[in-house]
Amino acid sequence: MPETKHGDKFIVPIGPQHPALKEPGHFEFTVDGETVTGASVRLGFVHRGIEKAAEERTYIQDLYLLERICGICSHVHAMAFALGVEKLAGVTVPERAQAIRVLVAEMERIHSHLLWLGVAAHEAGFDTLFMYAWRDREKVMDLLEQLCGNRVNYSINVLGGVKEDVNDVIRDGILSAMDYLETRTVLYLKLVTTERTLIGRTRGIGIMEKQTAARLGTVGPTARASGLERDIRLEAPYAAYLQYPARIVTEQTGDLEARFIVRVKELYESFRLIRGILSTLPGGELTTKMPRRIPEGETISRVEAPRGELFYYIKSNGSDKPDRVKVRTPSINNFASVMATAVGHKLADIPMILSGIDPCFSCNDRMVSIRGSEGQQAVDWEELRLYGIEYYR
Amino acid sequence: MANGVYEMMRGLWQTFRSAWTKPVTIQYPEVKRQVSKRYRGRHALKRYANGLEKCIGCSLCAAACPADAIFVEASEQTDENRYSPGERYASTYEINYLRCIFCGLCEDACPTEAIVLEDNYELSFETRESAIYTKDMLLDAVSAPNQPTPRKVKPGSFNRSVPEMKDPVD
Repeated sequence: MPETKHGDKFIVPIGPQHPALKEPGHFEFTVDGETVTGASVRLGFVHRGIEKAAEERTYIQDLYLLERICGICSHVHAMAFALGVEKLAGVTVPERAQAIRVLVAEMERIHSHLLWLGVAAHEAGFDTLFMYAWRDREKVMDLLEQLCGNRVNYSINVLGGVKEDVNDVIRDGILSAMDYLETRTVLYLKLVTTERTLIGRTRGIGIMEKQTAARLGTVGPTARASGLERDIRLEAPYAAYLQYPARIVTEQTGDLEARFIVRVKELYESFRLIRGILSTLPGGELTTKMPRRIPEGETISRVEAPRGELFYYIKSNGSDKPDRVKVRTPSINNFASVMATAVGHKLADIPMILSGIDPCFSCNDRMVSIRGSEGQQAVDWEELRLYGIEYYR
Repeated sequence: MANGVYEMMRGLWQTFRSAWTKPVTIQYPEVKRQVSKRYRGRHALKRYANGLEKCIGCSLCAAACPADAIFVEASEQTDENRYSPGERYASTYEINYLRCIFCGLCEDACPTEAIVLEDNYELSFETRESAIYTKDMLLDAVSAPNQPTPRKVKPGSFNRSVPEMKDPVD
């Protein structure tokens, strides 16, 4: 970042704690009048040390720990980890389990996109859409509770399969809810393309060209709204996406309206996939036997989270604990695009541009530590445990 | 101008119509939401129909727990003082609800289906100590004709700790 001279620029700091931010993050916008001329971001306020903690726990414990990286897309985290570990162990997961994984992943996508639609509409000042979207999201949440036993952190994944089965009652419930949601989605698509108040905040705002989107390495709906055809479900099909192929949804304009349209149209894709899975759900077992110790090796596992490509690197040393787990969440890839597209816009458009990538702050917070650098304090687990006991006394 | 008035009227019509529909929200503390069958809420320690505790203190739940939330201590029992079938019973059973992540692995690990995640989701505490639930808080009450545990039983009638049972549905 170029050094700013005091006196010739006005800097607007936002965060780490700010009423407009749902999660902590620090932004600095240099402004000329109302126009933003430069932007920088500082993340890491909700760093939890999950990657390091994963090395100290067994694979089964890690599955539940990593599921808690993100509160919205918890299933894809667990699925990515489970797929990676199963690949390392050389275990073939039953088809039915893979299909149920995809089913839950698509239901989670619906819930995540509806949540985003509400939040983005709220940022645009369109609170009626916010309330409607969140009311309809409750349908999916209730279905997920029926199927998995919880509204968030479903923990339906186990290493080597899934825990819960789809029975007839749940299947009929999901199908009728999908019909209801489809009629609602027609309304949402109409709203985001024709409603004057919303278009005033979205059309032509935050335009990102295809080249810029490719250069900044954006992923997920943010990239697809700029015309980039990036979708892990198609590029490298995992779980049951080979049997139930997804269709890519792209838009060419790259502005906020395109991101609205891409996400809303992806809801239709999810409805179609869910109906396809439920009509031809393969029979068979739900789980297969997993070894407790995972053979030595390293692997990567990529899945398409609602926000984009989620990447896991897992290294095993032959014991029952992983040697290294590296997580790269989609939000960190998309953050650079906010900083790039913010320049030239009015300050009032920044919340919309920021929510346009569907940011998840706690997903971002990783740390890179260079051993032996100055001013560093190393604490081992035992010291940290004792410190924790002392702190809470 | 005319267009603006029309749109405002249309918006207000939506408001007027919504005023007559049934609200989707519920008045929470008075009205409680029905949770699904598979819901994973607070644990309960179950009893057999004869009133004996199902838990035999094997600690498999504690071993399965990914968050180390469960602490079990088993003790020997005799037919004079019988808590559960078999040789041992759980003399201490504690769950720390600040650690519990409600994953349901304890339920899966239990050989006697003694620990079940039930539908109580109202878990809030004022102190850290009150988040630790002890055995008498978790254990179901004894149903009417049965004697509370420990009780005296006919020698040799409850030697088998894990009974024959079918897999649970849901």
